[in-house]
Amino acid sequence: MFRSDLFRTAAFRLTLALACTVVVGMLLEITLLYGQVSGYEALRTNDLLRRSAAVLMQEPPGELEVKLNERSTNELRVFLNGAALFDQDHHRIAGDMASWPEGLTMTPSVQILPFFLPDHSVTVMRFLVVEVPTIQKGKARFLVLGRSRHMADELRHMARKSTLYSILPLVSFALIAGILLSRRALGRITKMHDTIEQIMQGEMRERLPVGRGYDDLDRLAGSVNRMLDRLEQLMGEMRDVGNDIAHDLRTPLARVQARLERVEALSQALPEEEGGRFERAVGLCRKDLEQCFSIITALLRIGEIENGQRRAGFKMMDVMSLVTDIVDLYEPIAETQGLGLFVAIGQGPVKIWGDADLLNEVLANLLENALKFTPRGGRITLSAGYNELQEPWVEVRDTGVGIPAAERKAVMSRFYRADKSRNIPGSGLGLSLVAAIVHLHGGRLVIEENLQGGEQRKGTVFRVIFPLVKAP
Amino acid sequence: MQEKQEHVRQAGGTAADEAGGHGSAAVLPHGPVELLLVEDDDSLAEEIVADLRGRGYIVSRASTGREGLEMAQKGQFGLLILDRMLPEMDGLSVLESLREQDITMPVLVLSALSAVDDRISGLKAGGDDYLTKPFVLEELAARLEALLRRPVYGRTSILKVGPLEMDLIERTARRGEREIDLLPREFRLLEYMMRRPNAVLTRTMLLEDVWSYRFVPQTNLVDVHIGKLRRKVDKEGEEPLIHSIRGVGFCLRVPE
Repeated sequence: MFRSDLFRTAAFRLTLALACTVVVGMLLEITLLYGQVSGYEALRTNDLLRRSAAVLMQEPPGELEVKLNERSTNELRVFLNGAALFDQDHHRIAGDMASWPEGLTMTPSVQILPFFLPDHSVTVMRFLVVEVPTIQKGKARFLVLGRSRHMADELRHMARKSTLYSILPLVSFALIAGILLSRRALGRITKMHDTIEQIMQGEMRERLPVGRGYDDLDRLAGSVNRMLDRLEQLMGEMRDVGNDIAHDLRTPLARVQARLERVEALSQALPEEEGGRFERAVGLCRKDLEQCFSIITALLRIGEIENGQRRAGFKMMDVMSLVTDIVDLYEPIAETQGLGLFVAIGQGPVKIWGDADLLNEVLANLLENALKFTPRGGRITLSAGYNELQEPWVEVRDTGVGIPAAERKAVMSRFYRADKSRNIPGSGLGLSLVAAIVHLHGGRLVIEENLQGGEQRKGTVFRVIFPLVKAP
Repeated sequence: MQEKQEHVRQAGGTAADEAGGHGSAAVLPHGPVELLLVEDDDSLAEEIVADLRGRGYIVSRASTGREGLEMAQKGQFGLLILDRMLPEMDGLSVLESLREQDITMPVLVLSALSAVDDRISGLKAGGDDYLTKPFVLEELAARLEALLRRPVYGRTSILKVGPLEMDLIERTARRGEREIDLLPREFRLLEYMMRRPNAVLTRTMLLEDVWSYRFVPQTNLVDVHIGKLRRKVDKEGEEPLIHSIRGVGFCLRVPE
């Protein structure tokens, strides 16, 4: 996974493409150079052959044979690999070529032909044939000069070798550079990816890491961060508007409440039947008003907890004792509802860093939630402990209606009510409040299906997992 | 005025709740008390003043922090109701100045803020109780009562209220000759009520003081606890002692 990621980064691909371009360029250059040099060498050979031929032609007829046999001239010794004099029937008269080179024709141009050396090996040579003036009339003699393409071969060999020697290190260097660069890029990308993941989890304060290099990735991260700033600001404004509305509603509603109380008191002075009607109507109004207040209060509390990082009330505490106390508080209610309420004991104290009042609110909300959604005869079990990472947790496990997997995330959002719970009273804010408090504690809320309930007794587990215990 | 109210309450109390209680507001047992309300919202202040006057209190009102401080320093008030957010000088500063000058009247802090931190800072600054807006006027009245009438904390280990008797060391309770078998949580609840006989105790007060919880339950939690206790305290044929006060809370009423 990681390896294939490494080779898929833009940095790696770019380095590889660059290396390929350089290699292709080098190949082109070497080929061109080789072509040029070998062309030049061919021209030089031709020139040499012609010049040598011209020089040898100057020799008197008798001298030529001697010269050829002795190969005493400079030209013969240095430049020519083969020189021989043949008669018109291609029989050798003098020189060091055993036989007429196969395929050699009588043309004035330089010919390239394979030549069999005395040791039967083959070499490609350039030949020039010239007719030599003779003493005997009617008997033509031909001077054949040959020069091996040894230089050109050498050159080709050199070119090939140098190509190999320069391309291999270049490619490996490019590969190493590419891997290093892409690892660095991948490291940054992974960091960014993790941060974005955290932001998606709701950590709106997180920002992408921006390096000092200010390269394209840094610039992109900078832009994303500015976008996040703006988003956070907008979200804050939206939340503030919501909180402001809730806050502003409170005072007039408090007045309505106070007036209703007075009306209720006044209605008691009326004759019984009329007064009773008044009272019932006012009582209903007050009940609705109370629900308004509970929603507003919950909203404001969530706002306060979400906005504030206030941890004045935080201290080390044993969450197990909170569990035991709250179970004691709710036991009578569970009893009247025909539910079993239990504490799974045995773990001993479970220490966490938190605010006892807020955590009690979490437990109470989760417990009331379980009480609301568990049918008669069900069980609710509270427990606390440490997980394999030594993180403390506390959970409320019920055998209630359960929450479909698709809805588990949504239940934590404000005012969310599952379809089947529409008829059950409540503000719909309990779990958002729980989520806000858990978030303030740096913990997370996990909702799972209760698999311990048995066949018919499916239900829900609400587990709060706290960060590793540490007091600041 | 008091008589009229008593009459009115009783007339309205006939349809009281099914739990067997018999609604009636406590008449001030301590004679008229002078209160100072420092609250900047005029309409809310009006309602509070009207309600408290109706309950027999003598109420003065200040609308800014500075004015409130001056009045509290000069006047002889039995109790101060102080809003936290006030113009000119905020409630907590007023409270701190008062406490620095050794003015020790009980102070009830009102606040629109509900977070635990605010509550803590309110009580740290020298407040005796803390009430979050919005509140029911009866809740305010019940808390004023509780502040003015300090609970009974005798040196003896035996509490006696009417026919009820409680041994705090033996952890036993009896009504007349009858032993009442109580769970620890029921014992604590009854003890709290017996220390405040005839006082109206709201659900929030009970939850905060007996159990030390500061959340608002969405269930009739306190009622269930009271119901259980009542079944043990008030047996059939006995005169009921634990009464429900509709819309307010509960009261342990001792027959004169």
